Amino acid sequence: MDEITSVFVTESREQIAALESALLQLENSPGDDDTLNAIFRSAHTIKGGAGVIECSYIVAFTHVVENVLDRLREHAINADADLIALLLGCADHIGNLLGVLESGAAGPDAELAADGDALLAHLQRDWLSNEGGAGLPSVPPVLLEASGGGAVESDCWHISVRFGADVLRNGMDPLSFLRYLGSIGRIVHLETIADAMPEAADMDPETCYLGFEISFASGADKAAIERVFDFVRDDCTLNILPPHSRLSDYIALINTLPEDSMRLGEILVRIGALTQDELEDGLRQQTAVPAGGGESGEAPAVTSQPIGEILVERKVVQAELVDAAVARQKQVTEKKAAEARLIRIQADKLDRLIDLVGELVIAGASVNLLAGRTGVGELIEATSLTGRLVESIRDAALQLRMVQIGETFNRFHRVVRDTSREMGKEIELSISGGDTELDKSMVEKIGDPLMHLVRNAMDHGLELPSAREASGKAARGRLELNAFHDSGSIVIEVADDGAGLNRERILAKAVERGLVQPGQALSDAEVYTLIFEPGFSTAEKVTNISGRGVGMDVVRRNIQGLRGSVDVSSEPGKGSRFAIRLPLTLAIIDGFLVGVGNAAYVIPLDSVVECIELGADGSVRDYVNLRGEVLPLVRLRHLFGMVGEPPARQNVVVVQYAGIKSGIVVDQLMGEFQTVIKPLGNLFRNIRGIGGSTILGSGEVALILDVQALVQRCASREAQRAEGALLAAAAT
Amino acid sequence: MKTIFLVDDSATILLSISGVLTKAGYAVEKAPSALDALKTFQAGIKVDLLITDLNMPGMNGIDFIKEVRKLPAYRFLPILFLTTESQQSKKAEAKAAGASGWIVKPASAEELLNTIKLVIR
Repeated sequence: MDEITSVFVTESREQIAALESALLQLENSPGDDDTLNAIFRSAHTIKGGAGVIECSYIVAFTHVVENVLDRLREHAINADADLIALLLGCADHIGNLLGVLESGAAGPDAELAADGDALLAHLQRDWLSNEGGAGLPSVPPVLLEASGGGAVESDCWHISVRFGADVLRNGMDPLSFLRYLGSIGRIVHLETIADAMPEAADMDPETCYLGFEISFASGADKAAIERVFDFVRDDCTLNILPPHSRLSDYIALINTLPEDSMRLGEILVRIGALTQDELEDGLRQQTAVPAGGGESGEAPAVTSQPIGEILVERKVVQAELVDAAVARQKQVTEKKAAEARLIRIQADKLDRLIDLVGELVIAGASVNLLAGRTGVGELIEATSLTGRLVESIRDAALQLRMVQIGETFNRFHRVVRDTSREMGKEIELSISGGDTELDKSMVEKIGDPLMHLVRNAMDHGLELPSAREASGKAARGRLELNAFHDSGSIVIEVADDGAGLNRERILAKAVERGLVQPGQALSDAEVYTLIFEPGFSTAEKVTNISGRGVGMDVVRRNIQGLRGSVDVSSEPGKGSRFAIRLPLTLAIIDGFLVGVGNAAYVIPLDSVVECIELGADGSVRDYVNLRGEVLPLVRLRHLFGMVGEPPARQNVVVVQYAGIKSGIVVDQLMGEFQTVIKPLGNLFRNIRGIGGSTILGSGEVALILDVQALVQRCASREAQRAEGALLAAAAT
Repeated sequence: MKTIFLVDDSATILLSISGVLTKAGYAVEKAPSALDALKTFQAGIKVDLLITDLNMPGMNGIDFIKEVRKLPAYRFLPILFLTTESQQSKKAEAKAAGASGWIVKPASAEELLNTIKLVIR
């Protein structure tokens, strides 16, 4: 795919998203001119771009859609629910056609083409069929009908032009027309008419006073010659006489023009349009029939000119009225547009930049290390300054990849609207935190899991209006999408005010599937977590929307693949809330470097709360007393099966994840470290507790700890121990 | 070398037209919106021709042309606007705002360059 096509596809996808959201907006405020205009503009931009890249099937389809939108914009038709649904379908179809374009196929396949034809037929039948005279207003051609008298001898065109006073002010150079005229034929003779030029003192240098009489030899037709003057057509007097026009046409022309007839006649003779005899002959004829000749030339000019002026004036007035009316609304939107100005860059260029910054960070660490060894104060100072700058560059580069999640959220307006109709439910979608930013690659990957959660909430969570009313709730269900930052993570919540998760049903299902033993005591949170197990689905029937039982485990796996987690909380009758927790970036993080034995590990700094020294009592038990709080410990030495004795003094790094604290026991604390995350090889990807690797300044590899997994390990061990204690107590 | 300033909210159009113009030996400046372009004009950029779309979000092309014409340095600047057949009625409005002429989209490279030759040497 070439560059223009790929730009077109990206742009058009954005336009389709804008089109969709505007159409949905239209549902609430039908007939809003701004919205209608935005809708039209989106379709128009797509069509325009498709025309440029010569993608005929998109042009053809969008053209009809645009016609309908044009009528909508003109208020010739009204946007009812049917039309909006149809137009949404059209937007989808355009999206599909873009897919075809992207795939490099020559055109849509039969099925897709049939879909498109059906949509077009529907549009044509219901919304365009009574389009009578709504075609383009045709500009009446200026015909200079021959009216009688003998033909003149000259075989040249005669062009008579008087430029309007504003031609210069409109950025036009009269000379450029003549030059262009010269490119389609030969200017045989040209006479400049400066009769309108006032005295020097009265002359306005910005006003054009010129006219030309031109004898023009060319094989071009009249339309082509007229086209040369297209841009000044409305504010100039243009007369074109074909070769061998009748004498009376020339005479009529002379009468139409403002200059003195006799002088004009002489000019025409001089440039070879007429011979002296022809001129005299003509003027004689005119005086002989003053009424006929005079009126045919002068009368139309007198009556038509003012009308034209009035029309133009009226248009100007209208334009200004309209402008004033919209000006106030525009100020607001303009401000927004100015704030959100964008540069389009290809994503791989950014990825390359991030890669390079990563290498820079590693190289910087190495320089820092070497400088430290030399012990030269100035060098150390210089390298630490460089290090700080590298850090700033890293943050700035990562910031480039951050995008707002709002766009992803907005997609759900459409989903919720369509799905709720399909299921006969009333659902209101409320979105907050749309301006929360996260890494672009994350945004792309979070779409599918989010879609699953939203569909699940609509299908299983929210009840039918009748059921809601029966349980004393508003008939209209509420679905919330929310995003916010929380200690180095971004949290995305999907919440509904539906029936909540059914603990008994989940438990029964889990027992049936052998996921838990009958009679096993489980907390609510543990029961709810079961829905993320593979093959788990409590939906009694498989609906179109969800419930195929492939959902939630895939959701969890996808999110874990992004180094994130998903939690669920629920209250019977009140609703459920799914919280997706994701790291802010996948590329470079601030790390905290620790040592165990000879190995170095990195703990993401965002999750570190504090560091404490492990007292003598801590060497036996797996928990310590942290200011009256029980802090479970994870001993890395033990966890990773490292040989050798622990040193006399060990340290505890207190980490926190999703509100749960635990302590990681290490030998040494080595301080903050900019960590470029390198993924683990396939073989090691499934190791619990390790999230990735990085390269230290010395060139050694350090493993990055997966704090989430470690904390969860602690939590589950605590729970087991508590259970064990209970059982033991029961036994005695 | 003549400089042409191009304003269009469609990246596709910007890219394609600037491609044609650059090949034809013009220097091209681009802006994705009238507001951006207006800032550049207010800063006094030297251009020989302005080509702008009419229907753009934010400030539309007509208002943009009016604003440019208000700046003394651009009172005689040739201004062409991009239009389609469906916008015939816009021509008079744009002309009244101070435009010199128009280019009908989609235009072939030849049509585009011919139209430009109509207004600049």
